[in-house]
Amino acid sequence: MERAVGRAWRATWHLVVGFGLSCACLFLVALFLIGLVATALVVGAGMLPETVMTVRRFAGFERRRVGAWTGVEVPEVYAPLTGTVVQRLRSAAGDPGTVRDLLWVGAQMVYGIALFCVVLVLWVPAMVVDGPWCGVLGRTPVVLPLLTRTADLESAWSRALLTPSPQARLARRVEQLTETRAGAVAAHGAELRRIERDLHDGTQARLVSLSMRIGLAKRAYDTDPATGRALLDEAQTQAEEALTELRHVVRGIHPPVLTDRGLEGAVRALAASSGLDVEVSVDGTDDGTRAPAAVEAAAYFAVAEALTNAAKHGGAERASVTLTRTPRLVRVRVHDEGRGGAEEALTGTDPEQPRGTGLIGIRRRVAALDGSVRVTSPAGGPTDIEVELPCAW
Amino acid sequence: MRVVIAEDNALLREGLVLLLRSSGHEVAGVAATGPEIVPLLLDQRPDAAVLDVRMPPDFRDEGLRAALAAREQLPGLPVLVLSQYVEETYAAELLGGGARGVGYLLKDRVGRVDEFLDALGRVADGGTALDPEVVTELMSRRRRDDPLAALTPREREVLHLMAEGHDNATIAKSLVVTERSVHKHIGNVFTKLELPPSDSGHRRVRAVLAYLNA
Repeated sequence: MERAVGRAWRATWHLVVGFGLSCACLFLVALFLIGLVATALVVGAGMLPETVMTVRRFAGFERRRVGAWTGVEVPEVYAPLTGTVVQRLRSAAGDPGTVRDLLWVGAQMVYGIALFCVVLVLWVPAMVVDGPWCGVLGRTPVVLPLLTRTADLESAWSRALLTPSPQARLARRVEQLTETRAGAVAAHGAELRRIERDLHDGTQARLVSLSMRIGLAKRAYDTDPATGRALLDEAQTQAEEALTELRHVVRGIHPPVLTDRGLEGAVRALAASSGLDVEVSVDGTDDGTRAPAAVEAAAYFAVAEALTNAAKHGGAERASVTLTRTPRLVRVRVHDEGRGGAEEALTGTDPEQPRGTGLIGIRRRVAALDGSVRVTSPAGGPTDIEVELPCAW
Repeated sequence: MRVVIAEDNALLREGLVLLLRSSGHEVAGVAATGPEIVPLLLDQRPDAAVLDVRMPPDFRDEGLRAALAAREQLPGLPVLVLSQYVEETYAAELLGGGARGVGYLLKDRVGRVDEFLDALGRVADGGTALDPEVVTELMSRRRRDDPLAALTPREREVLHLMAEGHDNATIAKSLVVTERSVHKHIGNVFTKLELPPSDSGHRRVRAVLAYLNA
């Protein structure tokens, strides 16, 4: 009985908010009509895109509300409104989402108010019938569930009106892929330039100077052996430095341990050298095939960054790394019990020690592979960094 | 001393052969691929083996695996593993089990011929040769209330050289101090790290490495 009443109350509240939304829709319709007139008169052309954005915000609110009531999210797909007024007008008019929203605004105005009235009316029989029926006799309530059903009905209608069409979702996906591909191309270009610079300024220069010292040593060989020897010593030092630099460049391109040991072995090596007490666990249906090299490298660098952050800034003593491999996906999750706040410094409170710079690099790397990064790191900890990388495109 | 070499790069292989022969060692055999290594070692039973980590056919860690496999069948076989890069995990795998006669060095070190031959000799005598880079990594690890912080700079240097596998005489020479003062520093290090005192043999290296690896 109490549960039924509780549910009915929540349904009523849901419909009260819906009623409020209907009133807002009335206002939106007025705003939209004014916007239309203003645009027709050219003077207020900037007003219409703003109105569309306002409608989107309300529609977004309704989507979240429906998502919260039913427990199933309503996807949201809009064309972005940017550029000059004319461009914004054009994309607003061309976006099928605008039409959907307007349809919803019109419909919500009607059913929001109507269903609110129904629920108000239903409370009378609910009290008259269910009061004695189940309050006194202890039977199953009859009218109270109807209130919940009314709220369900409103959610279903809103969902039907606000769910974007498959074409719109597809279009959005294509847009996303275009974006990530552009990101991938840019990241690849930047990477090539960085490698070129490292090799050119570092290794090449050292080899030139090394060759020069050997040449000088040859000249001094007969006449001044002591100088020749000193030059050869310097040449050897230069050669060693060139090798050290090359090793760093190679590590930055593709860590050799990944090639030798695969992702799991490489992550275990990272864990062992992190200085933290790290527990590594692996799950998923690994059929033995390796993920693409770029995916493994991105996952590896993400774990490396997360563990470095945990030890250096988070002050953590222990961490755990979970590695999940399915045929279509690699997921790494790094959890630490440190101080948290890994993401907040992305904005850079202290320019000397920007905590998030490494994370930004990881985000770029992962985004270029159409993956996702989720960071939850409330102040005081714990920190969770989860990276998902698709392996099949 | 009789040495077996496993290295797939012809240039480096010839270089190593030349280097060992010219310093009076006998090259008992060379392997150019991973699967050749263990049979060759079992057949030749050399005084020491110099192995490259990455070898054909898979170019992963065949050399390292071969070293571990050969030592299972020939306990105590001295192996010196060379690699283009060093990885702590590999060092831990090689040094695991308290075995004697193990070396793990960057390929770059071959250029310092005397030091390389010294390291090889140490390994052949049942000692340890650990690349300075691995030791640096081990020492730079963050620890809770780091006891290494209590060491003086000189003591840190001594600890570093001990972990690489050098004996007191060599440590004294490279730090340009007397053996007596090296002995004193080592005593201080062991006290500060709360390690049980041990002799200057490989057991001491184990104790230090076990400590750094913890």
